Amino acid sequence: MVVIQTLLIALLTLAARCHTMFGTSLINRPIVLGALTGLIVGDLQQGIIMGGTLELAFVGAVSIGAYIPPDMVSGTILGTAFAIAAGAGPETALALSYPIAAAYQAVSTLGTPLGLWLMHKCDRYAEEGDVKKFERGYWITGFVPKLIFLPIIPLAFYFGSDAVVSLLNRMPAFIQTGINIAGGLIPALGFAMLAQMIMNKKVVVFFFLGYFTVQYLGIATTGVAIFAVILAVVLVQIEQRLSARSNSQNAKDGGELDEF
Amino acid sequence: MNSKIVTDIVTQDENRIVEKKDLKKVFLRSIPMEFTWNYERQMHLGYCYALLPVLKKLYRGKDLADAMTRHMEFYNTTPHIITFPLGISAAQEEKCVEDPEHADKTTVSTVKTAMMGPIAGIGDSFFWGTLRILATGIGTSLALQGNILGPILYLLVFNVPHFILRYMGTFLGYNLGTSFLSKLEASGSMQLLTYGASIIGLMVAGSMTAEMVYMTLNIPVGIGETATDLQTILDGILPGIMPLALFGLVYWLLKKGVKPLPLTFILMGVGILGAAFGFLA
Repeated sequence: MVVIQTLLIALLTLAARCHTMFGTSLINRPIVLGALTGLIVGDLQQGIIMGGTLELAFVGAVSIGAYIPPDMVSGTILGTAFAIAAGAGPETALALSYPIAAAYQAVSTLGTPLGLWLMHKCDRYAEEGDVKKFERGYWITGFVPKLIFLPIIPLAFYFGSDAVVSLLNRMPAFIQTGINIAGGLIPALGFAMLAQMIMNKKVVVFFFLGYFTVQYLGIATTGVAIFAVILAVVLVQIEQRLSARSNSQNAKDGGELDEF
Repeated sequence: MNSKIVTDIVTQDENRIVEKKDLKKVFLRSIPMEFTWNYERQMHLGYCYALLPVLKKLYRGKDLADAMTRHMEFYNTTPHIITFPLGISAAQEEKCVEDPEHADKTTVSTVKTAMMGPIAGIGDSFFWGTLRILATGIGTSLALQGNILGPILYLLVFNVPHFILRYMGTFLGYNLGTSFLSKLEASGSMQLLTYGASIIGLMVAGSMTAEMVYMTLNIPVGIGETATDLQTILDGILPGIMPLALFGLVYWLLKKGVKPLPLTFILMGVGILGAAFGFLA
């Protein structure tokens, strides 16, 4: 019975880890996972209640931009399963979920280098225009970093939480901290590559304008985008008038342009 | 909005290379957009993968390789309405093939980059801030009573509007792309579009760099009463100087011909060494 349950937990974990494959459709949220975990371990009702409780606790945990939230998947599945096994209430599920989520997150950062390495292989397939290899590389890049850590949750379910959490905590702290720091550094490469594509002398100042608007005024990108659109409209109009003046014969045609 | 209106324009014009069925493929392939999300270029792989049906139809051989590489640049926005910029990119790529004389391929990149910020601004607050919170409110209040409808309604409240908007976004983006672009071309203002889009694109790229690139030094300076640290001093001179310097250094190294993959691992190594010896925080 426990073996079947462990297998089902493994399947549930896989689905939750691959939630981005299903359109980032929130199937990895505690309210969904709690109910399904409850169903697997034999107490659907408690699972639903615990899922709801954990959902409210983790409501702020969404990945917006580059922010990676705590690992609520392991927290919810194991917290709910252990609390139901112990015959305890949702508070126990909540209390159990936090150390598990923290310990798991530490280990899962180790998948980052692997994912980056796989992803760069796809760059080569794109340069070669090899669609088949590219598409295969795409799925490998998506699956592999998720699969290598897949056994942790089912094993923790099978052997109990203490054994697994203490094992996870043995990883030296500086590696996790280091990968988190690198998470702040690596986007510099992404933006540098993008800038190489779209930057030229005429418009390079606007990169710095955007950068320092955020640094000095603390406006979020949305705000900057609004000002950028206004600025672009104004400057395009000026540019238009200048070019209209330089060939005044055509001046009347170019007057109506609606910038988006 | 009626989805007929949205899809109509495509079906009216039968001469187009990109057909409705191709755009439907783009919609389906946009679903795993974040499946390959990463720190370095975030949604770039997903974007290229989703657009492939259109690119395959438009290009062969070397041109296809170039087009694929073009769409492997950094991208990040709200994943649920990613089909909107995808649709616009599809229209632009089609234009590049139909009218190679007037089309400028870098415009494809500048336009899609320019849209990252505005779409994320509206999309994140709508999907994460409004729709998800609505779903959470309805879902948890039922779930806390042990009602199975809690998780079910939670998923439906979020995903029914999500998938409708995702589907419609594909055609909306494509139609906007074709109609808007041909209007611009007729008025001879393609250059102005490129100019305007690169202003927006670079400002957004600059602000995202400021938001997403972090580098904090942890080096103490001085002793006793006057002790401070290097980061505080640097911040006093120019806020965000370290991330900008890092960006500049990486940009320069790329220009020098250093390949991205070694750079990724150098940055990763710097992060781990920085944590091990404590000079980065």
